[in-house]
Amino acid sequence: MAAVRLCRCRCRALLSRSAGALRARRGLAAGPEMHFGFQTVTEEERREKIYQVFENVAKKYDVMNDSMTLGIHRVWKDIFVHKMNPCPGTLLLDVAGGTGDIAFRFINYVHSVRQRQLQRKLKHHQNLSWQEIFESYQKDKFNSLGDSQVVVCDINREMLKVGKQKAQHLGYSEGLSWVLGNAEELPFDDDKFDVYTIAFGIRNVTRIDLALQEAYRVLKPGGRFLCLEFSHVSNPLLSRLYDLYSFQVIPVLGEVIAGDWKSYQYLVESIRQFPPQEELKAMIEDAGFFKVDYENLNFGIVAIHSGFKLHNENTSC
Amino acid sequence: MLWVPQIQPLGSPSAQSRQGAQPKLGPCLAHTSPQLAADPQGPLGWGPGPVAFCREPWGRGRALGRCPHPHSSGPCSSCLRLDVSPPSPTWLTRYEEATNELINEELGIAYPIIDGIPNMVPEAARRTNKKPPAEGSEQP
Repeated sequence: MAAVRLCRCRCRALLSRSAGALRARRGLAAGPEMHFGFQTVTEEERREKIYQVFENVAKKYDVMNDSMTLGIHRVWKDIFVHKMNPCPGTLLLDVAGGTGDIAFRFINYVHSVRQRQLQRKLKHHQNLSWQEIFESYQKDKFNSLGDSQVVVCDINREMLKVGKQKAQHLGYSEGLSWVLGNAEELPFDDDKFDVYTIAFGIRNVTRIDLALQEAYRVLKPGGRFLCLEFSHVSNPLLSRLYDLYSFQVIPVLGEVIAGDWKSYQYLVESIRQFPPQEELKAMIEDAGFFKVDYENLNFGIVAIHSGFKLHNENTSC
Repeated sequence: MLWVPQIQPLGSPSAQSRQGAQPKLGPCLAHTSPQLAADPQGPLGWGPGPVAFCREPWGRGRALGRCPHPHSSGPCSSCLRLDVSPPSPTWLTRYEEATNELINEELGIAYPIIDGIPNMVPEAARRTNKKPPAEGSEQP
């Protein structure tokens, strides 16, 4: 029975690879027809449905992440922020960052870098004159984040609420902002952010090309685009095991833990519908990014795509 | 149980007084930093907007980001601000207490704030009555 079900899923996936569906799969304007998991819906419906999905799962989102990925998602996100390697003073825009995982890791990372900076400074600056000691009490020397800021933007209010509660619970007060916004039409000015991240969110954006264009717009020249997303496994044996786990175990977990089979069925199907690594790389390059590259984690289950905005085309070089 | 934050507006500067206005730092007296009062533009030159950082010179012993005010549970209202850093198309929104909105005067739009989170989806923006400054006035 499991084999039949897998077969059916495979057939549907194969069918969807027709030319028209290919455009829809890429999140480009394919007329009104788009995919929602393995179903075909209009653009409007898709937005609605995805909003519903995340509204339903918001409260149990973190618990489900831990149980579905057996806690490995934490490692992925840690690697992601390590790859970003932010220095104090960085302005980060975390899109689709609902519950704030990346934002909190960013703050922790920047804080520890800042602590090391301050310690090094202190070591070399032991013999202070009275004037310097006096000044150190005047200025706000213990700027623990070094003026780094992260703006968490998400289209779903429930996810942001959960994120905000988590921030209060964990004690993050400084350097965080929560904004409800659409990744396809960001309410930010051009050339503002040092880093733009979207972790496990770009799959749910209806028009990926618009989101990438917006990312390009709001980044400063020299800014970095980083995307963490489920991707395609090329190893055939692993791919079968992964499919088995995805379609048999995850929706069941969803039903047991979150009481929502359909949302997790959508989640798993949307991973299959998402463009593979090379295709996403091409889309990022189309948006204007340079030095686009990707790194597979866990044989392609997850991939980190990175690109740089080097200059503004409008200004003359 | 949803907890609605106490939004502490930093005064309501009008367009004319915005240039010279010193933002009120709210009731957090323990956290009032003379540096912030002296430099209302903020570290990244954002202008006198609704940004207020809770900056106390924390020693190394303190955990990151924890409110040093003694209180049993829940966030300290004086540590809470509408921590909305420049989320505006032109980086210049101001918080309007009366209508609980973020107003961008250059574009003449207002975004509502619900539960402490500004709703900056384009559909939610409301046109304010003030017209944005005409193009001609900006030319020398």
